[in-house]
Amino acid sequence: MAESNDSRLRRWLRSQRLTIAKRELRVLGREKTIVLALVIQLFIAGFSGFLVVGLVSLYDPASVEGLQIEAAVTGGASDEMADAIDEQDSMSATTFEDSTEAFEAFDDGQVQAVFETMIREDRIEVVLTAPEGSLETTLVVAEGQQALRALERTQRLERSAQLSVQPLELPAESGGNPYFDFTYTVLIPLLVFLPVFISGSITVDSITEEIDRGTLELLRVAPISLTEIVDGKALAMIAIAPIQAALWLALLAYNGVAISNPGWLVALASASAVIVVGLAVIVSLLAVDRQPAQLLFAVGVLLLFGAASLLPGSPANTAALLAIGSASLSTYLAVVGMLGVAAVVAVCMRVLTTRVDPSAL
Amino acid sequence: MKLRRRLRYIWRIARWETSHTSTSIDRRTLATGLGILVIVGLIATVGLATGLGGVSPSQDIYRVGVDSDSDYYPVVESHTALAAHEPDEAKLEAGEIDALVIDSGQQAAQTQDGELELTAGESGEIELESVSRLTVLHTPTEKGTAAVSTFRIAVEQYNDRLMALEENQTAAYPVIVQLQYLPQQALDGQFETDPAVDDVEDVDGDADEDADDDEAVDDDEADVPVDADEDAEDDEGVDDDEADGAGPELADEEASLADRLFGTGAASGSPAEISPPFPFSSLLLAFVFLIPMNFIIQAYGGSILNERINRRGELLLVAPLSRVDIVAGKTLPYLAVATAAITAISLAVGGGLLSVLAVVPIALAFLTATFVGAMFARSFKELTFVTVTISVLLTTYVFVPAIFTNVTPIALISPLTLVVMDLQGEAIGIGAYVFSTAPFYLGSAILFVLGLGVYREEDMFTQKPVPLKFLDALDSRLYGPKSVAVVSGLMIPFVFVAELLAIAVLFVLPIEVSIPIILVVIAAIEEVAKSIHVYAGFESDRFDRSGRTAVMLGALSGVGFFVAEKFTAITQLVGLPELALGQAVLAPAGVTPTATLALLAAPLVLHVVTAGISALGAKRNLRWYLIALVVATLVHAGYNFAVVSFYG
Repeated sequence: MAESNDSRLRRWLRSQRLTIAKRELRVLGREKTIVLALVIQLFIAGFSGFLVVGLVSLYDPASVEGLQIEAAVTGGASDEMADAIDEQDSMSATTFEDSTEAFEAFDDGQVQAVFETMIREDRIEVVLTAPEGSLETTLVVAEGQQALRALERTQRLERSAQLSVQPLELPAESGGNPYFDFTYTVLIPLLVFLPVFISGSITVDSITEEIDRGTLELLRVAPISLTEIVDGKALAMIAIAPIQAALWLALLAYNGVAISNPGWLVALASASAVIVVGLAVIVSLLAVDRQPAQLLFAVGVLLLFGAASLLPGSPANTAALLAIGSASLSTYLAVVGMLGVAAVVAVCMRVLTTRVDPSAL
Repeated sequence: MKLRRRLRYIWRIARWETSHTSTSIDRRTLATGLGILVIVGLIATVGLATGLGGVSPSQDIYRVGVDSDSDYYPVVESHTALAAHEPDEAKLEAGEIDALVIDSGQQAAQTQDGELELTAGESGEIELESVSRLTVLHTPTEKGTAAVSTFRIAVEQYNDRLMALEENQTAAYPVIVQLQYLPQQALDGQFETDPAVDDVEDVDGDADEDADDDEAVDDDEADVPVDADEDAEDDEGVDDDEADGAGPELADEEASLADRLFGTGAASGSPAEISPPFPFSSLLLAFVFLIPMNFIIQAYGGSILNERINRRGELLLVAPLSRVDIVAGKTLPYLAVATAAITAISLAVGGGLLSVLAVVPIALAFLTATFVGAMFARSFKELTFVTVTISVLLTTYVFVPAIFTNVTPIALISPLTLVVMDLQGEAIGIGAYVFSTAPFYLGSAILFVLGLGVYREEDMFTQKPVPLKFLDALDSRLYGPKSVAVVSGLMIPFVFVAELLAIAVLFVLPIEVSIPIILVVIAAIEEVAKSIHVYAGFESDRFDRSGRTAVMLGALSGVGFFVAEKFTAITQLVGLPELALGQAVLAPAGVTPTATLALLAAPLVLHVVTAGISALGAKRNLRWYLIALVVATLVHAGYNFAVVSFYG
């Protein structure tokens, strides 16, 4: 009989926590803050996409369709240079008799680059002239550099007898996107950990605001303890972080980005949400004033994240390895470790909340 | 006399504001901070002790099968993003590795991709041996090809390191490059040219200059052949550069985006050393200016919202002070702190007065936007989001254009570009300064005035929804029909910002999709800007809800918007001819310098008609307003399409 009473009581207590959690989420929905949070994240994601596309098209002419750079070549090593240029897909060379003609063509816009070459002391010296202050500048320099490296390789081969170590042969070009990893190493860690950070920040606000407005005073007459309130608030904030992360992953997958290990990624997001929200609770119960608490939380989490990236199972690297599908046993162990840390933080948070006297806040 | 008294009031409030924030950090907060620091320090020590010293996010993301005896094994080992695995074709098929390196044969007569241009004398002799010894297989996925690309870059970097150790530097570095930039004559009319880089030096000239260059070069000549001389503008830096950069600089180990970003922008050296004109270090330093802003606006927003909680601000409101004085006094300390921080950073990173002058308007924009946000927010939670939004939007808005500082003059829409230019030691004209900062000064002033509009009891202490407060703020700026035109005109800076952001975000989409969407979005932004305050006026019963009034207000709004838009276009054309390109981007419905009067009149008619449509809707209620807004947007978008296809 006593036991059933006990379990009923426990269920009742649990429902109290859920009520708080639900209320917390409802407020977020009513204030539309969560919408704002999603918009910010969408904006960041969109903008990083913009940056990647922009940078790729700045540096990688192959991605800009139909772009062809015309280059003028003059001087003593014209033949070698022209051959190296013609090896490049998006560059073609015209040999000019002398520099003046080449620069006339450059001025008229017939060519976008001038390679002036001369052989001196058994070396080829090249002056590469690129247009100044134009969108093509970076492209011309990046492509010109490729051509010059090709020239360097052939020249090294010709001098191989004089080298003590031979340079290794390059693999054939695969046409792979050199920015392929950006989505996995920057965007996905960002989208997995940003909601976590936002959750923590809301927790700090939510708790310090209760204290500031004096609404915690009402606790004394309500049949609910501080632990339950804190639990409820933390629960709501911990829940929304992995949900957002999962949404982003689904959105990316819908856009054709292959994502491996989604379950593990959500687990990683949940573990870090518990850690960060736990830290937020601890900070806001200790530093009661909102402004210092918020500052302390923001700086603290950033420092923690920075310090954690020094560890073998760095959160960003773990997320990248999981998402790109290169996870090894140690990657999974890192997630399990994070879950362990999360448990420890949750216990610390609980111990602290039971010790804090609500009326003293 | 009156002014002096007001200044004294402002000063007093400012002092009160500082005294009251500085006491808020107590011992327990300090202890908590110390606790966090200790934990962070412990983690960092453990991390450093394990000897990894920082794990890059791209650590081991590509798994490459390579024999541990192979020459390519150290290549894979030394590259961050590559992880060496056992070479097993079954694993490749199972997708357990992404690429497989098959290395047959020894380091003998190898050639370049199996093709070698042979010099005349040796022709035919080693041709048979010139077969490739390297095969790289990869999984048939995007990841597989990317892994091979990364592997190729890794081999290139490995070769660079190999060659750096080579004794015979002439054979190791057979090609020396010097990079120079010249304006193309055909484009000369459009771009300002930098006289410093203008003088053309041909190769012979360089050879001569080499000889009479300073001693530093001679010292290096012995072991390092990399001495092709610097550009004229780099003259002072020659000594340092040559001394530090003695050995050929090794390319960064990261083969990803970071590789391109961290390039040093060298102007001469071996082909591996030159890099596109990317002002990375200046850009990074410019970013430092933005960091303190985020903390300052947090404190500022908190202080403003604090006034609004539990009616604390009522005391100040009932004091015999004007609202402007109160808010100015409360803002002053934060602006002073921001200016001090900016000045300190500027001194630290070697920027001049110009850097300070360029960043102060950014600080103003941060503060005024936060002021409005704190006036609208209903809780600290909401305020946190508002400040984060402001930080993200303003940071991207000022930072992203600055990336393109050396590429296009449109970069000048951000004052941070001025900082980057200042740090690079470039001269900046007064026109460029005004063009960059005027929108920020103007925008800040408008935001400040908007926020002041709701700095009153009925808005400060009530939990009105944000949209209603926004309407209130707009309405408080309306006095008569003519003010409608003024407010429309004042919307222009925000319209430009919103349009630029829309273009930036939609840029990712394929061009067939993005152009129509952008045209519609731009139309929508402009229509909202022309009509939202009209709606606010009707909602607060400032104007009578008759059709005649609506048409008149719409027409006034359209005219105001048109005049302001054209005014900015004209100042751009007159002040900064090189920004003709930017103007074309910013004003799709605008004029070109050669436009006739008829073309000038068309946008005027358009703005008047569409503003009239939405004003007619606004006079009824919200639903009708939204419907009318959609109609107006469609008309406007149709006009945009017509203009684009006419010019295209």
